[in-house]
Amino acid sequence: MADVHQDTRPASLVVSPAPHVTGSASSARLSWSVAFCLLPAAAWGVFLFGVPALGVLGVAVAASLAAELLAGLAARRVTIGDGSAIVTGLLVGMLMPPGVPLYVPAAASGFGIIVAKQSFGGLGRNWMNPALAGVVVALLSWSDGMSRWLPVRSAAPTVTAVPPLEALRNALTAGAPRGGALEMLRASGYPWSGMDSSVVGWVNTHVLSLFGWHLPGGCFDLLVGNISGTIGGTSVPLLLLGAALLLSRRVIRWQLPVTYLAIFCLAAQVFGGLPAGGGWFVGNMLFQVFSGGGLVLGAFFMATDPVTSPLTRTGQLAYGLCLGVLTFFLRTFGSLGDGVPLAILLGNCLSPLIDRFTRPAFPTQRKAAPG
Amino acid sequence: MTRRPVFRDGVLRDNPVAVMLVGLCPAAAVTSRVIDAAWMSVGLFFVLLLTRLCQAILHALRAPDLSEPPAPGAPPQTSVFPLRPRWLGSLLLSSCFTAAFELILLAFAPSESASLGIYVPLLAVNCLVLERFQRSGPEDEPESPVRVIARSLREAAGLGAGFAICLVAISLVREILGSGTITLFAAGSFGGTIEVGGLSSVPVRALTYGGGGLLCLGYLAGFARLLGRRKRRSGATEAGRS
Amino acid sequence: MKRQRLFPSTGGADSPTASVSSEARRISNAAIPAFALIPMLQHSGSAARCLVRPGDRVQEGMLIGKADGARSANVHSSVPGTVVRVERTTGADGTVSAAALVEFGGEFERTGKAPAVEDWEKLSRSDLLGRIRSAGVVGLGGGLQPTHLKLAREPGRVASRLIANGLDCEPSLQGDTFLMREKSAEIVTGMLICGKILGTARMVLAIGLAQEEELLPLFHRASEHVDRAFEVVPLPSRYPLGHEDLVRAAVLAKAGDADGDRGAENGSAECVVLNVSTLFAVYEAVVRGRPMIERTVTVSGSAVRRPSVLKVRIGTRVGDLFEECGGFLEQPGKVVLGGPMRGVAVSSLDFPVTKGVSGVLAYTRAEARPGPEMPCIRCGACVEACPWELVPTRLHKLIERGEIAQALAEGLSSCTECGCCAYACPSRIPLVESLRQGKRRGAPSHHG
Repeated sequence: MADVHQDTRPASLVVSPAPHVTGSASSARLSWSVAFCLLPAAAWGVFLFGVPALGVLGVAVAASLAAELLAGLAARRVTIGDGSAIVTGLLVGMLMPPGVPLYVPAAASGFGIIVAKQSFGGLGRNWMNPALAGVVVALLSWSDGMSRWLPVRSAAPTVTAVPPLEALRNALTAGAPRGGALEMLRASGYPWSGMDSSVVGWVNTHVLSLFGWHLPGGCFDLLVGNISGTIGGTSVPLLLLGAALLLSRRVIRWQLPVTYLAIFCLAAQVFGGLPAGGGWFVGNMLFQVFSGGGLVLGAFFMATDPVTSPLTRTGQLAYGLCLGVLTFFLRTFGSLGDGVPLAILLGNCLSPLIDRFTRPAFPTQRKAAPG
Repeated sequence: MTRRPVFRDGVLRDNPVAVMLVGLCPAAAVTSRVIDAAWMSVGLFFVLLLTRLCQAILHALRAPDLSEPPAPGAPPQTSVFPLRPRWLGSLLLSSCFTAAFELILLAFAPSESASLGIYVPLLAVNCLVLERFQRSGPEDEPESPVRVIARSLREAAGLGAGFAICLVAISLVREILGSGTITLFAAGSFGGTIEVGGLSSVPVRALTYGGGGLLCLGYLAGFARLLGRRKRRSGATEAGRS
Repeated sequence: MKRQRLFPSTGGADSPTASVSSEARRISNAAIPAFALIPMLQHSGSAARCLVRPGDRVQEGMLIGKADGARSANVHSSVPGTVVRVERTTGADGTVSAAALVEFGGEFERTGKAPAVEDWEKLSRSDLLGRIRSAGVVGLGGGLQPTHLKLAREPGRVASRLIANGLDCEPSLQGDTFLMREKSAEIVTGMLICGKILGTARMVLAIGLAQEEELLPLFHRASEHVDRAFEVVPLPSRYPLGHEDLVRAAVLAKAGDADGDRGAENGSAECVVLNVSTLFAVYEAVVRGRPMIERTVTVSGSAVRRPSVLKVRIGTRVGDLFEECGGFLEQPGKVVLGGPMRGVAVSSLDFPVTKGVSGVLAYTRAEARPGPEMPCIRCGACVEACPWELVPTRLHKLIERGEIAQALAEGLSSCTECGCCAYACPSRIPLVESLRQGKRRGAPSHHG
């Protein structure tokens, strides 16, 4: 046949197994898009807290990249390009308070990349989220540095900066008169911004008074994220913007974060009032979601880390449920940050177990279809 | 038959902590200070050595074995110490020596006794577990009692040394990084604690928690496996050459 | 028509957009090849026994390979001419068989062919089956099973439904759609013939939702005189829904059958699924007496200047088809026989078109190489894509570790190698290849 059929023979044809076309998604692109979608919230943190925040973010990212490069050199493979190190660095930076001494983000990033990720075999083999591992080590080791909050730039320089959630906890331990979250904060003299009082005041007098409603002070600050807190966790709207982008590009799926937030909100609403001496159903779930810290950040950007979350959609629902419950308990009764990092790390540990129980079952061997 | 390097095996190939992963409780729990790890190692060394010594002596006395049914017609055997259920004897011996060590510690280092707490009595368990790894001597040729005792002692010393090396190594890492200090014996003007400049003010406190101990242990075990693999590989290439 | 969301609820791959240009709306005839290389193994089962020797004169449609054994099919010469030689060749899929090289020459005659029949309905079931068997008709949906085996029934057993599968079996292949557009009446007749053989009263034609508006009137017109239950069911044209078992499941689910389980095939609700190309071949064989010597082939791919659908004689060299379509835009980096998801990449353009070649695709160099393989990030894209609800990444890891038994217990054998998982994988892990190897290792020992 060769002598008959041999005119236009291409130089060389690639022979590879089917399929011969692939989807457009790539692991590296997924990582880069997560990093990109984190940027609005990170930029807000820089806007809010100024140069120190930028320094923390920069050090965290640089340390993370350096650690990835170092580990890569040791293992003779360069993995910087997969974008996961930059996500880790960004997340570490965004979970830090703006006033933290710079060795803390550096050490947290380094720990996350080298110990939590590369020691276990690099991307895809880490059983816990590297950024969260780094942050939890930092919380355990340098609790002092990890609580150096800065006031927002618009605030008066005399104002002491404490995130609302921590202020509430302080008020509770100080034995302040019990009540709703915002009432207690007002009673303890929490410094809301001037803009907040004018906006809330305007809305109260011009809109809500028509219905006989009244908004407590602080609502505006909480809503836009004009509060003291971690660099990346203050602005819920901007985090949601990034999350919406990720959802629309199908980088993450809604099941996990929505279950997580829903279960947490349910728990916060039903039981949240109990520690403050209230009854059932008087918790303030909106306050819990908006009061800084990393709940939204964690739900959309860290719990959804594909490597450490369950594979199947059913598994992700179960995972979200676990995370919601864990976060509520750790936030209410724990002492480590706002409970989100530790809850997600514990969830990471549960994830293989969930995978095991949610694996599709094959009771019967189905008929093998003809090729 | 070549003589097996029982001491070296105890330190390297059969290292109790890094290879066999035995005695992880003390390795994780009492290694946040160097002094604790050192005392723990001494304790294990002491108990293991004495247990093995007594056992070897009893074994050398060739006490008859009761666990096998006597042959029909044979005269009834008598023994003071049946050796086949060896762990029973081990348990008895190691608990005795553990209790002795506990009393010694209470007498001469009461503060240390307090900080080691429950892990001193637990030495008995560790020794018992290590007993299970006891290598029997060459079966075919009878050995002289002296050689049996000597080999037993070398083996015990090797295991004890392996345990000690791991514990002290872990505790050095954990204490230096986790607290920024090295706690040793107080002697004369030396207060017993060396401070590491820079770290003592901002230590990685996470390492002083139990999880930090497990983390160091994990790295140690991983490192040991890496070494073992490399050694096996070089051994394989040598075998291929010959 | 009610557009019910059927199946897959998840799963499948978003098929790439149709790549045959819109001006080429009709099937065009490819040139008669000067040389036709006709392998004796173009079907599943055992190879046919070659009946010709070098120097023999053959006519178009003459039997040159006789079915050898129970699971074999006849092979006919696609051109009149002279047998140049008979040699052992290796097919694109690696199977080895004898092949006759026929040099085109002489007249197209009607000798050596079964005569056309005026009224097929007068023929008995066994006569119909015999005509199909002697024409060497095989399933063109991808299985290549000899059709007479599929239609043969034990006496007294009837199939409850005949389903004509009009969904193109892979993305970028459009041969079936084109054929339905042009040969609706013939396809309906083919269905009636098969329906008579099977003794079934209900016929279903499954078409893609995208083609619903265009094809529905055609088939309504074609089936006006049909006296049996005839139904056209539009299904979402999402790969791999063209797969036989999935079409069956989808049709049954739509009909509301209790046993609409995927792949369920019990006696009471036995459904026979036949591809529309196969049905057209049945029509040709029975009514016009033409054996299976040509088929529609989609010529497409990014490196092809004028993608089109051709009617091609079996044995035509693949390279000639590209020339028929204006040649290459640029030097191709990869040539695939079959579809993009399941086809076989070949190392040269010298392979002949056989009964199983539904498409020939040429891709540019840039598209030819998959990206570098990255570590699995457990994103679950493969789990979502798998139409059989497997967990491909886990199976892949199990196979890598050699735990074949566990992989089989988790459903490895129901993998149809549809390629959806590897298509979806963002880390470019060759999951299909891995699973295929796992299946081979897990198969009973006759594979070695």
